[in-house]
Amino acid sequence: MSAAAPERPPGEPRLVGYLYLLPALVAFTAFVLVPLGRSVWLSLYEWDGVTPGTWAGLDNYGELVSEEALRAAFLHALVLLFFYALLPVAIGLLLAGLVARARVRGLALFRTVLFLPQVIALVVVAVMWRMIYDPGSGALNEVLRAVGLGSLAQSWLGDFDLALPAVGLVGTWVWFGLAMVLLVAGVQKIPESLYDAARVDGAGMVREFFAVTLPALRGEIAVALTLTTIAALRNFDLIYITTKGGPGDATSVPAFQVYDRAFQTGEVGSAAAIGIALTAIIFSFSFVINRTAERGYAL
Amino acid sequence: MAGVRFVDVDKRFGSVEAVRGLSLDVADGELMVIVGPSGSGKTTALRMLAGLESISGGEVLIGDRVVNRVAPRERDVAMVFQDYALYPQMSVFDNLAFGLRRRRVPKPEIGTRVQRAAELLDIGHLLERKPGQLSGGQAQRVALGRALVREPQVFLMDEPLSNLDAKLRTQTRGEIKRLQQEVRTTTVYVTHDQVEAMTMGDRIAVMNDGVLEQVGTPEELYERPANRFVAGFIGSPAMSFFDAAAAREDGGVRLRGEGIDVHVPRAPELPPEVTVGVRPEAARLWGADGIAGPVSGTVAYIEALGRETFVGVDAAGSRLAVHQEGRSSLQPGDPVEFGLVPDALRFFATDTGAAIT
Amino acid sequence: MTSRRELSLTYVVLGAFSLFALAPVVGIVLTALQDPDGLATFGSFDGLHPSNFVDAWRDGNFGPYLRSSVIVTVAVVVVASVLSILAGYAFGLMRFRGSQVLFYVVLLGLMIPTEAIVVPLYYDYRDLGLTDTYWALILPQIGTSVAFGTFWMRAYFRTVPRSLVEAARIDGASSWFTLWRVVLPLARPAILTMTVLLSMWTWNEFLLALVMVTDEGLRTAPLGLSFFQGRNQTDLTLLAAGAVIVATPIVLLYVFLQRHFIRGMLSGAVKG
Repeated sequence: MSAAAPERPPGEPRLVGYLYLLPALVAFTAFVLVPLGRSVWLSLYEWDGVTPGTWAGLDNYGELVSEEALRAAFLHALVLLFFYALLPVAIGLLLAGLVARARVRGLALFRTVLFLPQVIALVVVAVMWRMIYDPGSGALNEVLRAVGLGSLAQSWLGDFDLALPAVGLVGTWVWFGLAMVLLVAGVQKIPESLYDAARVDGAGMVREFFAVTLPALRGEIAVALTLTTIAALRNFDLIYITTKGGPGDATSVPAFQVYDRAFQTGEVGSAAAIGIALTAIIFSFSFVINRTAERGYAL
Repeated sequence: MAGVRFVDVDKRFGSVEAVRGLSLDVADGELMVIVGPSGSGKTTALRMLAGLESISGGEVLIGDRVVNRVAPRERDVAMVFQDYALYPQMSVFDNLAFGLRRRRVPKPEIGTRVQRAAELLDIGHLLERKPGQLSGGQAQRVALGRALVREPQVFLMDEPLSNLDAKLRTQTRGEIKRLQQEVRTTTVYVTHDQVEAMTMGDRIAVMNDGVLEQVGTPEELYERPANRFVAGFIGSPAMSFFDAAAAREDGGVRLRGEGIDVHVPRAPELPPEVTVGVRPEAARLWGADGIAGPVSGTVAYIEALGRETFVGVDAAGSRLAVHQEGRSSLQPGDPVEFGLVPDALRFFATDTGAAIT
Repeated sequence: MTSRRELSLTYVVLGAFSLFALAPVVGIVLTALQDPDGLATFGSFDGLHPSNFVDAWRDGNFGPYLRSSVIVTVAVVVVASVLSILAGYAFGLMRFRGSQVLFYVVLLGLMIPTEAIVVPLYYDYRDLGLTDTYWALILPQIGTSVAFGTFWMRAYFRTVPRSLVEAARIDGASSWFTLWRVVLPLARPAILTMTVLLSMWTWNEFLLALVMVTDEGLRTAPLGLSFFQGRNQTDLTLLAAGAVIVATPIVLLYVFLQRHFIRGMLSGAVKG
């Protein structure tokens, strides 16, 4: 009788497993986890990046709710969530619903085109859309003038009320393709028989959508929402290139605040706190989204 | 060449006991079939022998060597997997040569061994192909070949025929048996198919729920099952059972039960309550000589196999299979009378299931 | 049966949204080709003047920028891929204590935004004298790429039948041999997809470059474009040409390997 019987079969890599893991884990720890920890550390201080910092405890976190500018930033992020996540997923669902019933030829081509915005660097996307929104030579105003709606032409990114939605629309443009592709792929996995059964029961297009398509897409919707939510909260590149948070504070978002405070205004501790808060929000949103989707599976 | 021994072997997966107290001797050169339903622990036992699972208790010996802690590559065993596990990107030749190359067998020898195995298994024309280009039967033979070329001390086979269609299965069964008899390598063969076990094994070990129920030759298992499980597992169609009260009478025993009251002329000492096992050939339609009865029942189903018919009869509080030569004119629902062949009956304790002799 | 009306509606909707996706891209390409001396408006067709690209390249100094991007991208993708293959192999085909926990850490790591770590990364690297070096761009991105890569390769390795690995083990192959000679040859599509996605994300990374690099020679393409835009607010054609230059490498990769891009995002996203 062996006193300490080995957990795994003889010869099967045991310690070796850890060895294979080591390089990746070291890289990940050193370049991601440790900085994350350092971020937490920094967030507890008030520091301008040059002179020695002072202990601030949780003050920086308190500012997240007390300081007007930060509250606004997070609020804007919420607004962008609508444009980056909800709108694209809604569009994706619309299309998935249509494709579910129809036998569309050339779907691959559509997929390639719709997915294209995902592939382009956000800096390029920002440059692109800045041109489109340009009050003088921009395509949007040109088009409006061409159809006789010239009175609507304005400085989209310069307007206090319109700047945020304008940026949001760019996000919609970037992400709706991914949502569509994801959801259409999910729809194609739904067995035809479910639709046949619904049709026999007398369901029309709308009924079919809610009874068959939507429940079956829970997983894909969760994924699409997770990815787009993270993108909405991480939204730095676009803001930096198009509006730099302006006009005023109209398009200020947490990601931009991190950059601004850490490297421009010398509020490094606050910047770190915002970064940590962003991470916490991303984690909780992902958790909630996936939990809801999972529980929905217990049909 | 070596025998294999399991000495009081246990295997636990967490809190689940997959194998309990397994003690089994496989003689050198023997083809031992381990058979049982899924979850019986037979595959686990094989994998412990291969070194793919650790051993929670007891000892496993190959030859005289305790191999509990020995890595698979040191055990000198070769295994044929259920899904063949051929290396997909390599040619058949490289698949066969793989193990030999790992062991630094000299190149000319590799060539000889591969050629020999290819001839034995008739796969010589497939050597340049890749596994993806082989049919199921061909892939299976390559898997066998891969084990053959290794010339190991023990062959291990994990349900190698399960993925073949029925006809190929029967054919390959015979080929494997012939092959084993030719090379005379100790073989441990796992299957859930008792027909396979009965036709292939020199001896058979029946496992159920992690425990070894009985080990013996096919004949021993069929004629003298050690308990109700083995009796019901081996043989096709399966043995039927019914419960009855037994009382000694005239050198024999009177069996009384639900709708049954027969005198069986020759029977061993029986407890007051007993489970009676009836193989189909032990139950004949009433009218034949030397049978005990009559027992009345209703026909539940007819299994017509051309040369013979098995009539399923609801009687004695159970369902029994009754044998009839040729075709039957009976229909489901018909009343029927049949009798029991005294010497073909088997008796088991109602509580433990152990055989009573 | 779907009515023809429904089918037409579907095509119309698909077409409309495809147009929506394509229009800005086509627009900027056209703008880049416009007459540099003419009145520039976004998206109008003005004849083909590919010389704009040459001008933008020279004026925007995109040569060194692209080279920078290539160096960083190749370094990150190669190293991260190898590390991910090793780690994914361990997670996917080996059993060892704590593998579940460690993998959850990796999963969480997938969600950590660069914004959360860029601040300490800058200040710590500054103290180490690593800012304004390729290391400042390569090392952190190896870290983030390895999280995705490990997740991705583990998912792939889990599809490999265990019996294959066991057969190799019985045949006497070491885990290293099994990885490189038995299992990996099948993994080409999965590895290609991972490579393609990591390349895209690394090439397009902006914030890290913005923070870490001030030396003009080290700028990556997106960073270069950002500065180019700062200097060329009014010269539309030049700016458009610069933008197209920066986006083209990955878009080209996409055009040839779109299947991998899409499949990668789709299946990588639906995590277990």
